Amino acid sequence: MKEKHPLKDGLINIISYASQKFGAEYVEIRAQKLLKTMLTLKDGNVEAAKQGIENGAALRVLTKGAWGFASVGTLDTESLKEAVSDACKMAKTASSKLKNPIKLAKTKAVEDKIIAKPRKDPSKVSVEDKINMTLAMNKVILNYDNRLKGCTIDYMDLTGKNYFINNEGTYIEQDKLYVWSRITATAKETDIFTFSREEIGSTAGYEVFDVETPEVVGERTAKRAIEQLKAKTPKGGTIPVILGPNVVGVFVHEAFGHLAEADLILAGSILSDKLGKKIASETVTFYDDGTINGAFGSFKYDDEGVLAQKTLLVKDGVVVGLMHNRETAHKLNSKPTGNARAEDFRVEPIIRMRNTFMEPKDHSFEELIEDIKNGYYFKSFRGGQANLDGTFQVGIQEAYEIVKGELAKPIRNASISGNTLETLLKIDAVGKDFELWPGRCGKGQTAFTCDGGPHIRVREVLVGGSA
Amino acid sequence: MVVLRLEELLSSAEETVRFALKSGAAEAEAFVYQGLTTNISIERGQIAKSLRIIDRGIGIRVIINKAVGFSYTNILGDKNAIEEVVSKALSSAKASKPDKNWQTLPKQKPSVSLVQNTYDHRIVELHSEDLVKAASLMLDSAIATDKRIFPIEGGIGASYLSKAVANSHDIANAEEGTIIECSLATIGQQGSEVTPVCFEFNAERNYNIDPEWVGKEAARLAASALKAKKVDTETMSVIFAQVGFQELLYFTLINAVKADFVQRNQSAFKDKIGGRVASEIVTVFDDGLLQGGLRTSKFDGEGVPQQKTTIIENGILCNFIYDNYTARKEGKESTGNATRAGYLSTPNIEATNFHFMPGKKSPEELISEVKKGLLVYSLQGAHSSNPASGEFSVVATPAWKIENGEIVHATKGVMLAGNIFQVLKNISALANNERKAGQIVAPWILVENVRVIGK
Repeated sequence: MKEKHPLKDGLINIISYASQKFGAEYVEIRAQKLLKTMLTLKDGNVEAAKQGIENGAALRVLTKGAWGFASVGTLDTESLKEAVSDACKMAKTASSKLKNPIKLAKTKAVEDKIIAKPRKDPSKVSVEDKINMTLAMNKVILNYDNRLKGCTIDYMDLTGKNYFINNEGTYIEQDKLYVWSRITATAKETDIFTFSREEIGSTAGYEVFDVETPEVVGERTAKRAIEQLKAKTPKGGTIPVILGPNVVGVFVHEAFGHLAEADLILAGSILSDKLGKKIASETVTFYDDGTINGAFGSFKYDDEGVLAQKTLLVKDGVVVGLMHNRETAHKLNSKPTGNARAEDFRVEPIIRMRNTFMEPKDHSFEELIEDIKNGYYFKSFRGGQANLDGTFQVGIQEAYEIVKGELAKPIRNASISGNTLETLLKIDAVGKDFELWPGRCGKGQTAFTCDGGPHIRVREVLVGGSA
Repeated sequence: MVVLRLEELLSSAEETVRFALKSGAAEAEAFVYQGLTTNISIERGQIAKSLRIIDRGIGIRVIINKAVGFSYTNILGDKNAIEEVVSKALSSAKASKPDKNWQTLPKQKPSVSLVQNTYDHRIVELHSEDLVKAASLMLDSAIATDKRIFPIEGGIGASYLSKAVANSHDIANAEEGTIIECSLATIGQQGSEVTPVCFEFNAERNYNIDPEWVGKEAARLAASALKAKKVDTETMSVIFAQVGFQELLYFTLINAVKADFVQRNQSAFKDKIGGRVASEIVTVFDDGLLQGGLRTSKFDGEGVPQQKTTIIENGILCNFIYDNYTARKEGKESTGNATRAGYLSTPNIEATNFHFMPGKKSPEELISEVKKGLLVYSLQGAHSSNPASGEFSVVATPAWKIENGEIVHATKGVMLAGNIFQVLKNISALANNERKAGQIVAPWILVENVRVIGK
C-alpha cells in the first residue's frame, strides 16, 4: 500500500511544473521544518528564554545554464509554485550575460530517510532543565575566583526535518539535530581585562553535557581568564612555536581548508595549481570528514543530496583532494564530496568544511618541546581568518612562553600569521595525541564544524605582539 | 507570496499583543518583520545567478513575574500558529527566572522622530533586468580597468524592508525602508603572485549607487596590490581606510560604549564619562537619524524613537548607548539603540550610524603628511581582538607602504598590534572623505605610533 505523503506529492508536482513549463534543466527543493530553543544567561540572569518555529523552502533551478534561487518562509504549495516560477524567470534573466553555462557533475539518485537517534533528545528536555544547566555553569565560573567579573552563556538547540528532492529522482528526508553552547568569562584586576571563551557543539544529542558538564567547562573557562591576568603581552616577530590541537585545528581550517574549497580554487586561491604537488613536509596529512558520529560538522547527506564522505585533502605533504559541490566537481572534472551546505532555507548551498583535521603521527609533547630554546606554546584560539593569497591569521586566547625546552609564563593577546605555503613546509614534527573541537565557520553563512589534530611543532611563524 | 502592507504588519503585531495579554502575560510586545531581497550575483568573472528571498515573521516577548519569555515564528496570518507562538513565549517565561532588574517595557513617546532618505520607491520598482544591467556595468568596468585582475565575486542587491512593533504600553509603530548595494571582490594575478582579496562596495538607501565606480575601484585596488613586499618591524603611522577601521571598532570600541558592557564591568570606559578617551580632534556621534544612513530608522527594535547621541566630543567621553532595560536600570531613558536580527531575536544594544566627524584634509594631503607608514584598507582577524581590553593583533591586508608622503609599494604579511583605546588617543588627523561602511560613517583616519610587525 502506498504511504500517504502530501508534502512529498506537492513537491513532486512543483518539480515537474518547473521542468515542463519553464524547461528548467535542473530543479531542486529543500523544505525545512525547524524548532529552536535558545537562551542567554548574563551573570546568572536569564535574559530571555526563547523558542521558535521556522518553516520554509529553498527552490533552486538551472535554466539556460544560469542559477535561479528563491526562498520563501512557507510550505504552502501555491506559494512554492509561485516561487519556483520566480526562480526560473530569474535564472533566465541572469543567463542573458552568461559566458560559461553552469553544468553539474552526475550523481546517483537516492531515496533515503535518516532518523536522528539521540540518547537525550534536546526537544524533549524541558526549558527549565536547560536553564538550570547554564545556571550551574555560571555558578562554577563566578565562584572560581572573585576576580571573575562577568559570565555570558548562550545556549541553542535545533531540531527538525529537512526534505530534499530534485528532478533526477533523489528524495531524502533527514532529521536535523544540533546542540550548541558558548561560554565566555571576563576577569579584571586593576587595569587588566582578560577574556576566555569555550564552545560546545554536538549532533549526537543533549547527552553532550554529560561529558562537557557544567563543572568541566566552567572550570576550563574560568581558569583561563584568571591565569591570563598574570600574563604579559608577547614580543612580535618570527619564532618557533608548538601549536596545541585546538590551534592546529583552526590553522588547518583557516590556513589550508578554505583555500582547498573548490569554489575558492576557481576564484584563484593560492592552491589553484597545487593539486598533485607537494606543499607541506612529509609528516602532514589533512582530512575533511563528514562521517564522524556525533561530531558538530557531521551529516549523512549534504544539501545537494550527495552522501557525505571522508575526504583526504593532503597525504604526506601532497595535495590529493579538494572539497566540491556538484558545480565545481563538473568544472574541475572531479567528483562531488558532499561539502555543499546551506545554513537554512533562506540561503543557497555553498562549499563548506565539515570536520577538518590533521592526522596524528609519533611525537610526544615532551619530544616536541625539548629542543626549543626560546619560543611559544599556543594552546587555545580565539578566532581565525584566511585570505586567497594564503595569508592566514589565528588569534590566540591561551599561550605560554617556552624557555629552554620547558613551559614558562603565560602570554596574552597574541596572534600568529604567515603564508600557508611557507608555513606548511615549516612543520617539522607532529604529535601522537588527538583532539577535535567544535566551532562555527562564517562564509557569508554560518556552518557548524569541528577542527582538530595533534600537537605540532612549527620551526617559525610570525607572532603579532605589542611588546 | 503576497507582500504585506504596513497596516497589516501593525495590526498583526497589535492583535498578537492583545492575545498574549488575554492569555496571561503581564506585559507583551510583538515585532513583525518583512524583508524582500532581489540579488544578482557575480561568480568568478560572470553573472550566473539570481536570487529572490522573502523572509518574514513575528517575534513575541512576554513578561510574567519579571521573567522574560520570547518566541518567534515565520508562519504569519494563521491563527493557530500565533496561538502556539504566544503559548511558547508564555511557557518560556514561566520556565525562566525572575530578573530583579526588570522594570517595564518602554512606553509610547508623544513625539516621533523624523527621518529622511530611507525609502525610495524606485528601488521597490526595479526589475531584475535593471539589476543585471547594473551588475554587468560594474563587471565590465572592472575588467576594462586592468587585465591582471579577476573579479571573483560580487553582485547587486535591492531590498525592501518593513517592520512594526506594538506593546502593551501603547507603542504601535510601523516603518518601511529600502536599501541597495553593489559590491565587487577582486584579486590581482601576475606570474605566480596572487594578491589578497580586494573589495569595493557602495550601499545606499536611495537609488543612487555607482556600480561603474565600484568596478573600477575594486580593479584598481587589486592591480595596485601586486608586487607586494615585506616591511620591517617598527613603530610607524597608519592611515586606516573606512572598512579596516570599522572592523577594528566593531569588536572593541563599539562594545565599550554599550551600556550592558559597562554595567557588567566589561568595558574599559566604565567610570570614564567626562574623561579624555581620544585625541581632542575626535568627535563621534551615534546618529540613528542620519540622513540616508544605512541604519537610520524612526524607531528601534523596541519601538523607541532613534536619536543622535554624542559619544565622544573633542576627545571627551560623553555618553553610552542604551536599550530600554539597561536605561531603566540606571533611571535613564533609552537612547533608541535596541536592535533586532529580524523577528528571530530579542533586542540587543547595537550602534546605529557610528559617525566620526570628518576633518578638512583631503586623503592625498593625509598621505603627504606621513613620513613612514602604512595605508590599510582592510584587516584580517579583527574578530579575535580582546573585546574587554581592546587589545588587537591583526593582519593588515590589503595595505600599502608610505614613505616621505608617497605610496611606494603594496605590502604582504604585515601585522598590527596594539590597543584600540591607545589608537584613539593617537589619532592625529581625519580626512574629509567620509563614507558609510557598515555601522560606521567615517573618513580616512591617521594614527601615530602603531606597532607594525613585518619581518
